[in-house]
Amino acid sequence: MKDRKIDEILSKAAQGPEGVDPKLLAQVAKSIESTLRAVRPLPPAGLMTWGLVFVCAAVALAGAAHAGFFGVEKLSTLERALIFPALGIFIWFASATWVSQMIPGSKHLVSPGTLLGVGSLALICVFAVLFHDYHTERFVHSGLVCLAVGLLHAIPTGLVGWFVLRRGFAVDSVTAGLAAGTLAGLAGVVMLELHCANLQAFHILLWHTAVVPVSGSAGALIGRAIRFWPILTLK
Amino acid sequence: MHVNSELEKLMVRYQQGDFSAATTLIDRLSPQLHRFFLVQFTSRIDADDLLQETWLRIHKVRHTYRFGEPVLPWLYAIARHIRVDHYRKSRRTAAREQRLEETPELAAFPETSTDAPDLQALLAPLPESQREVIEMMKIAGMSLEEVARATSSSVGSVKQKAHRAYEKIRERLSAMKREKGSMGGRA
Repeated sequence: MKDRKIDEILSKAAQGPEGVDPKLLAQVAKSIESTLRAVRPLPPAGLMTWGLVFVCAAVALAGAAHAGFFGVEKLSTLERALIFPALGIFIWFASATWVSQMIPGSKHLVSPGTLLGVGSLALICVFAVLFHDYHTERFVHSGLVCLAVGLLHAIPTGLVGWFVLRRGFAVDSVTAGLAAGTLAGLAGVVMLELHCANLQAFHILLWHTAVVPVSGSAGALIGRAIRFWPILTLK
Repeated sequence: MHVNSELEKLMVRYQQGDFSAATTLIDRLSPQLHRFFLVQFTSRIDADDLLQETWLRIHKVRHTYRFGEPVLPWLYAIARHIRVDHYRKSRRTAAREQRLEETPELAAFPETSTDAPDLQALLAPLPESQREVIEMMKIAGMSLEEVARATSSSVGSVKQKAHRAYEKIRERLSAMKREKGSMGGRA
């Protein structure tokens, strides 16, 4: 049987009786009438995306300014030229993904899960290419400090980002949370690259990169909590 | 195209607080939304409730629609959210009440079969994700890209789902034809 024939059968089947009770429609119209007033549409998606990029950069710069730019001072020109543009691209994609998650029916460039996976892998590749000091002094202790510092910078980024997008509506709070967490984690990574003077390969590969998936997972968990307890959205 | 631009204009007027635009949208889009809920194996009463809930949610988040963007993917993304939410809530309630003897499909079937038997019979063997793609394309008349927007997936994934759904429908139609033939032969 050809696809066209199936098309015809489905179209015929779809033309069944469309029985919506007119009373129900009148009831729906009446229920919205009392609260009907002019609303201001959301700003353009591009504007919100750049707003999030700005928030991410501002939090990272503020954190590094407070703690010191020791990391970026120690990096070579090539390292700076590769790391920060790579992080910039990742941040732009994460911002655009979060924005698209907050606007129903918008075009999705990439799913938040794919973005997190591919982006983290890309970061690992960049770091693996650039850093060749394989010593592991105070590996766990200094690593945990960097992870904690990165995550501490993710929290304000997530909160301010949520404020920027507060008028949006996430049809799937888990994927929206994942996108939000990914972007927030990236602010933490940028801060660490600006501040952390430990250029040991394993330290950067594991502990700096880990901020993104840990923050992304935390965002997804918060999204899941919102799904079960919608009161958490404070709307 | 013409229908889409008309819907876009109505949405903008609705955002500006025009009640007649709101009622026109409700009258025009409710039948297909109602069908969307019915085809997903909910009862007619549930479909009525979901329709009402969807319009209330649309009303609450109407500012998220942006002029120039297609209306149907925006609308169906919200309707889909309401349906999934309803499904989760009903599953949780069912688990709490320990109605172990009823599976979700069996519980939802009987009332709906009288409402839209043909389409439901055809779409019955499909998984939910494939069923909603076919439903959006055939009942709502949405394009592949619009379905991708409404379901938060890629055009490639929608194409794949539609292709797999057509394969299953083809098998089902062939089986129905064979059944009919063998019954005719016996008579």
